[in-house]
Amino acid sequence: MSKTVGSEITTENKIEHKSMVTQEDNHEEVGVEARTEAHEATHEIIHEHTLFAEPIYRIGNFNITNSLTNTWLVVLIVIVVSWTLKKRISLIPKGIQNVFEMVIEGFLGIFDSVTGARAKSLKFFPLVFSFFILILLNNWMGLLPGIGSIGQVISEHGQKIFVPYFRGGTADMNTTLALATIGVVISHIFGVIAVGGWNYLNKFVNFKALAEIPKKVMKDPTILIINPIKIFVGLIEIIGELAKVASLSFRLFGNIFAGEVLLASMSAILAFGLPIPFMFLEVIVGLIQALIFAMLILAYLTMSTMAEEH
Amino acid sequence: MDSLIETFHIDYKLLIAQVINFAIVFFVLYYFALKPLMQTMKDRTAKIEKSLDDAKRVEEKLSKTEEDYEKELAKAKKEANEIINKAGVVAEKKKKEMLSNAKDEIGNIINKEKEKMQQEKAKTIKEIKKEVANLVVASLEKILGEKKDSKKNQELIKKIIK
Repeated sequence: MSKTVGSEITTENKIEHKSMVTQEDNHEEVGVEARTEAHEATHEIIHEHTLFAEPIYRIGNFNITNSLTNTWLVVLIVIVVSWTLKKRISLIPKGIQNVFEMVIEGFLGIFDSVTGARAKSLKFFPLVFSFFILILLNNWMGLLPGIGSIGQVISEHGQKIFVPYFRGGTADMNTTLALATIGVVISHIFGVIAVGGWNYLNKFVNFKALAEIPKKVMKDPTILIINPIKIFVGLIEIIGELAKVASLSFRLFGNIFAGEVLLASMSAILAFGLPIPFMFLEVIVGLIQALIFAMLILAYLTMSTMAEEH
Repeated sequence: MDSLIETFHIDYKLLIAQVINFAIVFFVLYYFALKPLMQTMKDRTAKIEKSLDDAKRVEEKLSKTEEDYEKELAKAKKEANEIINKAGVVAEKKKKEMLSNAKDEIGNIINKEKEKMQQEKAKTIKEIKKEVANLVVASLEKILGEKKDSKKNQELIKKIIK
């Protein structure tokens, strides 16, 4: 990647959409080369929504992307809010504490309908709530003015490309993939703790069903058909786990990225007024996606901690 | 898979960075916000439950005390009435006794006085008689002008008086 030539602050109004061009070119490296060919001699600044988060700084071989900076901002907000909340917690609730308690109560109510028991809800609550908060704030941070519109101009192969300093954290595959992986991996850890290592392993590689065949085959010959099916179902579950990660990460990424592209497209058509309804839509989408992600993680946790239910 | 990584610029270092971010969010939220907050909520629930329980117990106790009080009061009233009644009866009795005593005494005194008066009367009459005899003697001597011997006199007087 190239170095910074000059920094420039531009507003959303100027956003032009050339990203579609790059995708049509069908290059493997969607970013850099495509742009070079399309805008050889032009000297205008190119704004585009890339599918990936662009690096804005480099330490060693670690790229700090604009999505990562945004996530750091979210982490900072969480730390500050939590810290102020901690100092103000009292037995008689006041102000911000009331809001948080209301949210917690509401969430526990919803959780109960998924887990079926208050004790389980309380156990999973901090983890799932952390997912929710991190994703929600990341989603909404991507909508703030200035995020995606304040950045620097990088000169690359003779043309100027605008790179924003911030990009919605969840509009980056790395973020969503990391979160989905954490969620699924933790659900497995909880599963092993709750059911026991051997039992949990048998959910996927069904040694038990295999061992049962010679014992029971005399009494019940149908076991010769049923248990191989059980083993096969267990193997399918392994693929199912990978599908969980894929569906969680792509759903979140797709929704938020699409929202950003939609908003940019709308402001490219008419910057005044037209994006407002879509902005509201994106606020709701951000909330719903965060909720869906958290609820699915909770459902996975609940399922994996339950004993075998065949 | 490679094209996927290429398209989305998936970088394991970024993945790790995001995992760390999530871990920070989780620990900060858990230790600074959720844990103390939920503990506080739990404490509050426990406290409210205890307070309500206490209030109920106090109310029960109060109503019981009130009942006891009423009972005691009724009992005391009854006792007081009994005492008053008893006192009334005793007083009546005493009054009657005293009255009869007084009557008796008065009767005695009157009787004594009567006796005394009778005695005095008798004495006075006796004296009067003696005086009258002397007077008659004296007047007769004067009328007769002479003094007969006293023996005859005496007999005569006695005849007259009788």
